[in-house]
Amino acid sequence: MTGAPARPRIVPFGDTAILVTVDATDEHDVAHIRTIHRLAAAIRELGDPRLDNPVPGATSVLVGYDPRALDPTEAAARVRTALDAAVAAGEATDERRRAPLVELPTRYGGSDGPDLAELAAAAGLSEQAVIELHASVEYVVAFLGFAPGFAYLSAVPPAIGVPRRATPRERVPAGSVGIADRRTAVYPGGTPGGWQLLGRTDVSVWDARREPPALLVPETRVRFVPVGR
Amino acid sequence: MSSRPILEVLDGGILTTVQDGGRPGWGHLGVPLGGACDPWGLAVANLLLRNPPTAPALEATAGGLVLRARSPALLGIGGADLGGVVRPDGRRLAPGASYRVAAGDEIAFPGPPAGGRGVRTYLAVSGGFDVPVALGSGSTCLAGAFGGVDGRPLRDGDVLGALAGDPAAGVELRLVDAAASAPPSDAPAVVRVLPGPDERTRPARAALLAETWHVGAEADRMGIRLDGPTLPSAGPPDLPSHGVTWGTIQLPSDGRPIVLLADAQPTGGYPVVAVAISADRPILGQLRPGDAVRFVETTGEAARAAVRHADERLRAAMDAMADAARWDALWHEAGA
Repeated sequence: MTGAPARPRIVPFGDTAILVTVDATDEHDVAHIRTIHRLAAAIRELGDPRLDNPVPGATSVLVGYDPRALDPTEAAARVRTALDAAVAAGEATDERRRAPLVELPTRYGGSDGPDLAELAAAAGLSEQAVIELHASVEYVVAFLGFAPGFAYLSAVPPAIGVPRRATPRERVPAGSVGIADRRTAVYPGGTPGGWQLLGRTDVSVWDARREPPALLVPETRVRFVPVGR
Repeated sequence: MSSRPILEVLDGGILTTVQDGGRPGWGHLGVPLGGACDPWGLAVANLLLRNPPTAPALEATAGGLVLRARSPALLGIGGADLGGVVRPDGRRLAPGASYRVAAGDEIAFPGPPAGGRGVRTYLAVSGGFDVPVALGSGSTCLAGAFGGVDGRPLRDGDVLGALAGDPAAGVELRLVDAAASAPPSDAPAVVRVLPGPDERTRPARAALLAETWHVGAEADRMGIRLDGPTLPSAGPPDLPSHGVTWGTIQLPSDGRPIVLLADAQPTGGYPVVAVAISADRPILGQLRPGDAVRFVETTGEAARAAVRHADERLRAAMDAMADAARWDALWHEAGA
């Protein structure tokens, strides 16, 4: 990365939150993802009880605040101090926070990956080539959302980055591995879902009794490891 | 469950879950805020029993819930009138009051009476329901299948206990300022909004504010679809996903806005047209399919004043309940 990163922008979001936005040429870029979480960590480390735990997105961090204690200008000023310090500290701090690697043994195709054949046809590849491409990448958790423990992983090789299904499934089994555009994810289970399903893992990505309950927390590195059925 | 059984579920109705003040602080792991969709209705049910305003209570949606008392109990009712009735004696359970029931009584919420408004009723017991605390809350998280009773809606056979020692302690009270958050007549509900964070949504916002909308059939704890004209597109259809809040009004590419409620997913990628102010969440939480709703733009200062007003209303209700309980104690001491 060359030059100083642009200063994050802060805009009000209703009467209980502000949205911190970072310019990104590529939201899947690992350095960009790290910047987002460096900013979120700096806000969290303020330990200000008037601010909520920040919620990272693809190019932003949403920070809730107590409207009884702060107005949006005060909330923005408070957050700005943390952001400026984090931007100044820069990428030097990132190496110290190198995230763990999680390997997910995954059964591809068949009833575990009902969309694999269609996905391969759409990509003009063999099923085996799709599997190899999907398993060739070390992914990074960009952010979570959709459902508890549902982590958006960056980035799927462009050759297999197919759009989501026209009609979502009403219920997706736990551990299903899906693709939507440049992202892949593991479904925690019990939700509807519109991503193209190419396989399934037995690893549980969400357990409310575990600490932390989500296996794939932000910045975690993830590898899918093909296994036989 | 270690606590004494108080209520048994005979029919869970359309959707009944345990809800409290929600589960803040876990959005970064994909966990919805959760909690009662009408926080004022929850507070009323609890304050009638002198519980904390966000103690875990039952949130019954639209009707169908039938319970049987396993022991004598005092129940607080808040939120919308879903036609609550005690059987066999036929006493009505109107919201805004507490009611003593006897062991064996059936407590039923068949559905809103004719002309009734609102869709969610709250039923509290002394001390709050005894449910496990998961990630800091007793609320049922349907998307994650945890919290409340096994992370799912109530169904027949479930048995609920309370945290307090004597579920029948206390006196029947009535709260004067217990009006449900639903509008009292056929007039459209009015929800105050602030502009969204993206200037490109300005034309869509102008159109949102100009119309009277109707709540669509797709309405649940996550959000409500609005039926009305198609709004103009507001920039690229797939924006980078960002955090969203309860009250966020999103515009998917089909031009039909969605208002997010308590169980909304914590991140979303649709353009945000406007954000409802937090003080008006109880109004959103009582909208039911077919209801008319209008959105009016307000200011940050007015939103803060509305938060203060809601806090004062809550404090006044707590004081009124404390006074009522004190007068009752004096009455008993006097030997009446």
